[in-house]
Amino acid sequence: MTEFLQATVYGLLQGGLLALVAVGFSLVWGVMNVVNLAHGTFVVLGSYVAWQLNKSAGVDPFLGMFAAAACLFVAGYAVHMLLINQVIKAPIWMTLLLTFGLELVLINAMVLLFSGDFRSIETGWAGDAIALGDVRIPYGRLAGFLVAVGLTLALVAFMSRTRLGLAIKATGMDRDAARLMGIRARRVYAITFAIAAAMAGAAGAIVGTVGTFSPASAPAFTLQSFVIAVLGGLGNMWGALAGGLVLGLVQSWGGQYLSGTLVTAIAFGVLVAVLIVRPAGLLGKPYYEARVET
Amino acid sequence: MATDTQAEKPASAEGPGGARRLGFLSGRAGWAAAAVALLVFIALPTQLYGSQQRTLAAAFMFVALAQGWNLIGGFAGYPSFGNVVFFGLGGYTTAILMAKAGASFYVALPAAALVGLGFAALMGVPVLRLRGHYFAIATLGVAEGMREVVLNLDGLTGGGSGLTVPAVGIEATTSYPGNAGFYYMFLALAVLATAVVLWVSRSRFGYGLRAINQDEDAAAAMGIDTTRAKIGAFALAGVITSLAGAMYAFQQVSIYPARLFDVQFTLLMVVMAVIGGSGTVVGPVLGALGLTFLSEYLRDNLTDYHTLVFGVIIVAAVILLPQGLVRFVQEGWRTRRFSLLDNVRAYRL
Repeated sequence: MTEFLQATVYGLLQGGLLALVAVGFSLVWGVMNVVNLAHGTFVVLGSYVAWQLNKSAGVDPFLGMFAAAACLFVAGYAVHMLLINQVIKAPIWMTLLLTFGLELVLINAMVLLFSGDFRSIETGWAGDAIALGDVRIPYGRLAGFLVAVGLTLALVAFMSRTRLGLAIKATGMDRDAARLMGIRARRVYAITFAIAAAMAGAAGAIVGTVGTFSPASAPAFTLQSFVIAVLGGLGNMWGALAGGLVLGLVQSWGGQYLSGTLVTAIAFGVLVAVLIVRPAGLLGKPYYEARVET
Repeated sequence: MATDTQAEKPASAEGPGGARRLGFLSGRAGWAAAAVALLVFIALPTQLYGSQQRTLAAAFMFVALAQGWNLIGGFAGYPSFGNVVFFGLGGYTTAILMAKAGASFYVALPAAALVGLGFAALMGVPVLRLRGHYFAIATLGVAEGMREVVLNLDGLTGGGSGLTVPAVGIEATTSYPGNAGFYYMFLALAVLATAVVLWVSRSRFGYGLRAINQDEDAAAAMGIDTTRAKIGAFALAGVITSLAGAMYAFQQVSIYPARLFDVQFTLLMVVMAVIGGSGTVVGPVLGALGLTFLSEYLRDNLTDYHTLVFGVIIVAAVILLPQGLVRFVQEGWRTRRFSLLDNVRAYRL
């Protein structure tokens, strides 16, 4: 029973973090119809920004997180304007290939800059834990969970309560109609992409604090984002949160009770099943799918 | 229907009429070039080192893989991101039959093709109902999931520590063909795959696939059995890809799930087909040969940076040549205007 409770708590904490990892991926997919295969590298880049700040200036990663988010925001804006925007109207596999090329470049640049070694951001406090009965909750994981869920909810509020957020939603529903309403679609897309990168960067700082990371971790983050985005429905922020928690729990329980890596097979099985039975996702609304493509 | 296609997209050189009008890499000149290239490739191994034979064999393998993807991704317009699943299944079928059942490679090879065919048909029924990104992700999910299944069936597949094909000594069921042997094997497969694509591109079946690519609902309304056509294309891709996997497994001797189901294979075949020209016959050949040589050249000359430079080249190629090399040259030939800038302008916002 203790084991089950510990696995459940751990899964929920990890799930909140995964939601922050995936929320930007889902946003970009839903609004821009772009599957960003380089999303995982944005997460790891965020980890390195926080790690470098911590190592050279002793900045706590939960402060470094903001620096990571800011760096990735700028980088994301630039990447969209210079690269993604050039093929935004091309058939979908062109953007898949472009982001795959970008992923290769970024991963290898990180290997050259930081080596392929596994790193972890050291703090004095994140490893300590509070005990609730027999269940241990490390402070770092708890703080990471709270920050991740907080940021995800802040994004939900931003999307539904600000003019810019509504412009992003409108552009996602029908780009041409949005442009006729005076929305500059290219800028909206760039900001969407930048927000997604910033969220990934912030997630990366937390990931680096509660665990280890290396350039090779990037593809796993991208794949997890896939699963979460599909489970939750594209462009649906609440869905990303729910999908993240579900995936975190499944992985944690599976790791506890199943042998080997079968849990990964189950995650992909669930993914394919959801796609076939309910392509709009568990919470998704199908309107992103139904929009006009030109 | 062919006239419709040409009226709408004058750039595409599909179909005999269009090809003659464009006059590039078509007709007699094209056949002659293909024949010369084939003769050179048949005569070449005697002039090469073992390592060069291996590089060329890999290039031929990628020709077959890219052509396999071309059928489903290029002609039917269904961007499969899980074609490596056939590669892995073909490889494991061969390795299991040779190692556990003591079968000859020449028995295992057709068996691998059958497995590829069966799995493509089985998987195609639910997955080909999805469109666009959803199809891409579902196929990716099937491939990743299959890797984990193979990884966990230790008894049959050896799990993560892999499986070794008996290739030497008294255990060997078929004598190991060596570098030159695999060179000819992969060359034959590449020729076969290209011939299949050539046949498809000129058949009623191929026109059906192109119609599905342009507008699936309209194609169905025109009387094309879209489900059958899509599953047919997917099954052909499955057969070609699983044959490549079978040969690859024998060539490598020791195989591991992480290697045989590596998503990099899928991405490379897509990149090669698209950069060469997806939906054309020659495009994937040029893309696969060109990128394999380029990758090998970079590996030799830029040891630390080669993957990085390869990534830059992919990004640049996608932005500068979105329609693929073949279509770019055909279009330029027709209009006497070769402008990369026009390509960039075509898809930007």
